Amino acid sequence: MTMGIYPPSLEKLIEHFTLLPGIGQKSATRMALFILKSERGVAEGLARSLMEVKEKIRLCSTCFNLTDDDPCSICLDRNRAGQTVCVVEGPGDLLALEASGTYRGKYHVLHGVLSPLDGIGPEHLKIGELLNRLETEGIREVILATNPTTEGEATASFLAKALLKKDSHLKVTRIALGVPMGGDLKYMDPMTLQHALKSRMPINR
Amino acid sequence: MTPHISPAIITRIREFGESDLMVSYLTADRGLLKGVAKGARRSRRRFPNCLELFCLSDMEYEQKKRGDLVFLHSCRLVDAFPGLRSDYHSLALASYMAELTEVLFPPGVVDKRIFELLKNSLHALDEGFRGDILRILFEGRALALAGYSIDLDCCCQCGRRYAGEGRAVFNRVKGGIGCLKCEEERVDSPGLAPESINALRIIQSSSWDQLKNLELTEEAIREITPVIRLHMEYRVGRPLKTAKFLP
Repeated sequence: MTMGIYPPSLEKLIEHFTLLPGIGQKSATRMALFILKSERGVAEGLARSLMEVKEKIRLCSTCFNLTDDDPCSICLDRNRAGQTVCVVEGPGDLLALEASGTYRGKYHVLHGVLSPLDGIGPEHLKIGELLNRLETEGIREVILATNPTTEGEATASFLAKALLKKDSHLKVTRIALGVPMGGDLKYMDPMTLQHALKSRMPINR
Repeated sequence: MTPHISPAIITRIREFGESDLMVSYLTADRGLLKGVAKGARRSRRRFPNCLELFCLSDMEYEQKKRGDLVFLHSCRLVDAFPGLRSDYHSLALASYMAELTEVLFPPGVVDKRIFELLKNSLHALDEGFRGDILRILFEGRALALAGYSIDLDCCCQCGRRYAGEGRAVFNRVKGGIGCLKCEEERVDSPGLAPESINALRIIQSSSWDQLKNLELTEEAIREITPVIRLHMEYRVGRPLKTAKFLP
């Protein structure tokens, strides 16, 4: 560490904050000064939370979501449709779907997408575990909810093939693509509009 | 500096900060560039779904006087190559071609022909072109454009002119072929029939319009594949990271 303008302990804290994603030197300095000015309890609470997260949070052995207890509360919930599984890229996507309040089935978190440029292949994702769940849990439908990016779409195609190879009677569906709420057609790209028109829905009278 | 517009193929994207994207893209007129698309993850107006891996887009950007990063103003999608999204092997091959392009044509090296080759190859992949053939067409032509052509004109040991009279052997150290008097066929020195040598000559020197109609026999594919691979590994100096994902 180079000699900075702040005392070494404060410099060290700034350096640690810069390790966080999206946090540069300026933001890290602001955060460190905030901690310094705050009550002792704020710093203690933060330190305790950081350690608790590292000690307690793990992956659910069934769906691979982040959890305190294994299996997680979603996997244990008997009111959820156990024969439907929604496959998502990461825990953040699961939370977004839960916040929608529409889906009442189970989940499976892949922890990434296929990305050869980043060195990520099928063996790096929780794909084998998903295929195992088909048999052990008697799953009837798998909803592929990976993001509609190039890698997300390719991952969904790969999964669809692998799932149907394992169980040809399985219902495999993909979340819809189209014009978002509050969107403006003028600013839509041709591909999104193509998808939106292809998957148009009749309006019930 | 005034903004400049170039057709571009996006070769890499990663999240940057809270709402920005760091985008690497290949242009025909300024080569490989890297820039920041401010607010691209939050606002879709300046970048309406056009900052996607391997998309062909018209990129409006500004090169700064200092530093390597460009500032992206806006973008318009030209072709998303949807076929790459529906097949993992196509995604893997597209990734491989992008990585090879980055290695052979790093920032500062400008060649319009590599842009056209990558664009046409992605288009062919999108339309279901056979992957193993596309791979050798791309590898052979890209290496030639980068100045790493395999010398097919004369024996790399004795210098005798090769007139297509019989089999020859590839020598990876010399980057050329040797006659059977000077070289022996081995795993690391594979042999080539006259037809394969002729096909390799066409691959190295032809434009995409000729390449896409090139008819390769199964034997030529079988012989050319290890030769190009050995040549590439030797010239590049390391295996490409994406190669392990190819079938």
